[in-house]
Amino acid sequence: MGRFILKRLFETILVVITAALACFVLLRYVGDPVNNMLGQAATIEQRETMRRALGLEDPVFTQFLGFLGQVLSGNLGVSYRFSTPVARLLLDRLPATLELSLCAMLMAILLGVPLGVWTALHRRTVMSELVLIASLVGVALPTFLIGIILILIFSVWLAWLPAFGRGATIAIGGGWTTGLLTASGLKSLILPSLTLGLFQMTLIMRLVRAEMLEVLRTDYIKFARARGLKNTTINYDHALRNAFIPVMTIIGLQFGNVFAFSIIVETVFQWPGLGLLVIQSIQFADAPLLAAYLVLIALGFALINLAVDLMYAVVDPRVRGGAAFAPRSAA
Amino acid sequence: MLAALVAFSIIVIAVGADLIAPFDSNNPASANVVDARLPPGSTALTGGHYIFGTDPQGRDMLSAIIYGLRTSLLVGFGSVALAAYAGTILGLLSGYRGGLLDALVMRIADVQLSFPTILMALLIDGVTRTVLPRETHDILAIPVLIAAISASYWVQYARTIRGLVLVEREKEYVLAAKVTGVSPLRIIMTHIWPNVMGPMLVIATVNLALAILTEATLSFLGIGLPPTKPSLGSLIRIGNEYLLSGDWWISIFPGATLVALSLSVNLFGDWLRDALNPKLVDT
Repeated sequence: MGRFILKRLFETILVVITAALACFVLLRYVGDPVNNMLGQAATIEQRETMRRALGLEDPVFTQFLGFLGQVLSGNLGVSYRFSTPVARLLLDRLPATLELSLCAMLMAILLGVPLGVWTALHRRTVMSELVLIASLVGVALPTFLIGIILILIFSVWLAWLPAFGRGATIAIGGGWTTGLLTASGLKSLILPSLTLGLFQMTLIMRLVRAEMLEVLRTDYIKFARARGLKNTTINYDHALRNAFIPVMTIIGLQFGNVFAFSIIVETVFQWPGLGLLVIQSIQFADAPLLAAYLVLIALGFALINLAVDLMYAVVDPRVRGGAAFAPRSAA
Repeated sequence: MLAALVAFSIIVIAVGADLIAPFDSNNPASANVVDARLPPGSTALTGGHYIFGTDPQGRDMLSAIIYGLRTSLLVGFGSVALAAYAGTILGLLSGYRGGLLDALVMRIADVQLSFPTILMALLIDGVTRTVLPRETHDILAIPVLIAAISASYWVQYARTIRGLVLVEREKEYVLAAKVTGVSPLRIIMTHIWPNVMGPMLVIATVNLALAILTEATLSFLGIGLPPTKPSLGSLIRIGNEYLLSGDWWISIFPGATLVALSLSVNLFGDWLRDALNPKLVDT
């Protein structure tokens, strides 16, 4: 177990350092930092002083270590375009993205699970077939197209919901701004969450349906029926509970996907979150912002995967490898 | 089979764009700004009809879609070809050789699989664009896009093919060839590769649909193809800005084409997988 943890930890650190190296190269070689800071009209002496002050005369390795130190202490540089510290920008936009992702996931679960259970229990009905066909829409249409169609229907033709922005937000302590406490904020949240959550919802629905059908065929369910338990008890207390375990794993693993697709949804709805920020940073060649985002993404995903792997190792002894799982003789 | 017909007819239309399109999208003179944002079915100033309407620059939507299909398919096929090439070679080598190369490639593959593919393509494309000087953006846009998309999708090929190679190389005819002294390269090319080709084709077809969608997504976000080389994604992007004024045709027609294309390619891939299946069953 110890060896496994060490191996995974080592790999995680390697991934993060590689990402940091890529960012470091990005920052050093995109344009001239001295030029960006001093402008065109600086004299040669001023440039030399700046270069020494920024540490650009030092060997590359020392510079990289300095960069790592900076990142670890929270100084992620200053954005070229916004002229504000990158860390500040990222923190300001984070609540928007988190609210959107969580709402989307919640919507996907709250709609997907009941639909999955319902289509599993009423297998051959027309409604159930219709729902399954409609779910193909979620898979076939790309996310941005779903967003555009929803905007057309609900904002342009029906004028029920706003098409862009976050609505009025309220700041609640610690720098977190939320749109959940205002009417316009909630209204603005509906379409983006629906767009983001639609794909996840169809996935969850199909998964729950498949697992339920699988569980409903097992012997202990048959035994429960033979014993005369009520249908609701069988379906919910026994079948659904057992069907839910793989579903929870998939939901956890899908968070990364939700985060990636939130970038698209934020662009369609002009939602002021991290995704829109990174798209703008690419369009404006804002290297510090892009580099910081890269490092944070690499760190975030590496940590999530480490956590998931460790969890599996705790739960399933076979993953740890080694002598813990030696084949036993039949005797 | 209907799917295959649709897919192939789309490809033919795209390739024959110059002959079929009613207006020449590449010729700026054909875009009449006076005709900008006309709804579908309107008549052009110079005669002829705008069957799908016009975009904000006065370009005919139908022609723009046909030319855009061509670019989208080019990027799609290009990235699938590159990913298949790189992934297959890596899969063959790491499966046959094993050892350090195998461990290294599989580790990188595992790490990369933990990232969503869209995010990978987005970041690779974004970083490359940021690093390149601004003048070369337009020229290098297509190769960079192809490289970014293939870099995110090569892993599937490598893993699947490595698994198949691991099975094949223990078989008796391979061992016999080794014993007879056939060089490893010949063994890989003449014995192992033909047996591995089938699954690779199936993955490639499914991947084509994904690659086309990824390219459309990146172009929609504005970090794929430049406005001078329209693709379905960038057409939808242009339409996005005019949605709120009710000009729905600028986004919906390219979108419908995109969905039709990806659905037909997907269904074709399913059919292909079923058709090749009996040959894949091991005795």
